[in-house]
Amino acid sequence: MTLLEEEGLQLREVQRLEGHTDRVWGLAWNPATGTAAAMLASCGGDKTVRIWQQRTASSTSFDCKAVLEETHTRTVRSCAWSPSGKKLATASFDATTAILEQNGDDFDCVSTLEGHENEVKSVSWNASGSLLATCSRDKCVWIWEVLPGDEFDCVSVLQGHTQDVKMVQWHPTVDVLFSCSYDNTIKIWAEDGDSDDWRCVQTLGESNSGHSSTVWALAFNNTGDKMVTCSDDLTIKVWGVDISRLQSGDDNASWRHLCTLSGYHERTIFSVHWSREGIIATGAADDAICLFVESEDHSVDGPSYKLLYKKEKAHDMDINSVRWSPVENRVLASASDDGTIKIWKLDSIH
Amino acid sequence: MLLFSAIHPINISKMKSGLVSISTCYMDLDDIFGPSLNLEDTHLNEGYQEGYKTGFASGKDDGHEVGIKTGFITGEELGFYRGCIDVWTSVIQIEPTCFSTRVQKKIKEMDELVSKYPILDPENENVTDIMGLLRLKFRAICATLNMKLEYKGYPKASEPNEIQF
Repeated sequence: MTLLEEEGLQLREVQRLEGHTDRVWGLAWNPATGTAAAMLASCGGDKTVRIWQQRTASSTSFDCKAVLEETHTRTVRSCAWSPSGKKLATASFDATTAILEQNGDDFDCVSTLEGHENEVKSVSWNASGSLLATCSRDKCVWIWEVLPGDEFDCVSVLQGHTQDVKMVQWHPTVDVLFSCSYDNTIKIWAEDGDSDDWRCVQTLGESNSGHSSTVWALAFNNTGDKMVTCSDDLTIKVWGVDISRLQSGDDNASWRHLCTLSGYHERTIFSVHWSREGIIATGAADDAICLFVESEDHSVDGPSYKLLYKKEKAHDMDINSVRWSPVENRVLASASDDGTIKIWKLDSIH
Repeated sequence: MLLFSAIHPINISKMKSGLVSISTCYMDLDDIFGPSLNLEDTHLNEGYQEGYKTGFASGKDDGHEVGIKTGFITGEELGFYRGCIDVWTSVIQIEPTCFSTRVQKKIKEMDELVSKYPILDPENENVTDIMGLLRLKFRAICATLNMKLEYKGYPKASEPNEIQF
């Protein structure tokens, strides 16, 4: 049975996590699936990072395990766990990126990356955890190499965006970097040979059926052959690539527009995330969460997506981040300007 | 009529120097006002020449001043980079392993960029590109070495904008 055929699906609020004293900007589930209980990191306008831990693997209750207050002097805009789940990178408006490491029950700041001229907006680890990317209002994207002993070498500074860069995200399997910006484009960066020479290999703009306003976020499906982007233009766009060509390092492996979903959100769509099972979740300034799945009836124009469910008033204010749990299927976390984080479970009423 | 009296002397002088007779002059009404138009042109020309001369002089002075100022700023920045590069290069010669190969490569690239900067050719279109690359590489080196190197007046590329998220 496909998701669309399942009846009475709904997002049920499992828990509300309170503690942040200002808007919550970012969320990151610890990807380490070995641990029995799930762990979630959140960050926000109160300059703190909070670590929430599920009581037990079967429990629906999360407890705040740590509040990291000393690391940043301004808003912490986003956070990301390394693939091993051992390190947490946090990007802040204080122009720095911090690397935190779990030490027993505590988290220590083991490194601070300085380089951006102003607000750092986003941080992302590559699949192997050997590279880290950051982006900033200074229009630059930085790539860092992770060296032993918590050393970080600047590999390259990428210039190309003409405005504030909102988010960076590595491809889930290939070392290709994606960035999206206030300049309405998505840029794709790849290494040119072995010379630390990274360059923009593709720009997805309005002329390529791209967005007509700020692109806020992007995410990949499980296999990495599709990407979804969301924007201030109130649309969600799905892009596709020939994954085998991308993996073989073919320079001509270009991304093309597959479809545009519009009419579902009334205000800026800030966050988008694709679950392992294939459900796209979006969170927007209209306080709603939408879920989409690929519909079975393939048309000649390529895949199409259908609204699976819409949760109106999921939060009292703008939703800044939506993230599916990598450990437990159909569990979603959302973060909002209202200062709360909510854990949702997609299940059937019956 | 004020206008008429004003053009009168010119009219006379024209009669004196030229071959226009009084009778033809007064018969042809256009010719009475013709010189008045010329007068305007003449004054306009004189004023323009005078203004041009003064403007040229003060413009040259201004340009001179601006040139000294921006020349100093550019020279200061290039000199700063040159100093850093020379110190780093000396250190590498004494202790070849002190910086990673990545940083050493960037230092070498900076060295080449400073060397090829067209100091005596300010109108060369490459100057902004080279300076941009220099700043980028310098920031990358400093970030990797985890240090902040600046001098008073070091250019900050970021202009204070309105706050966005």
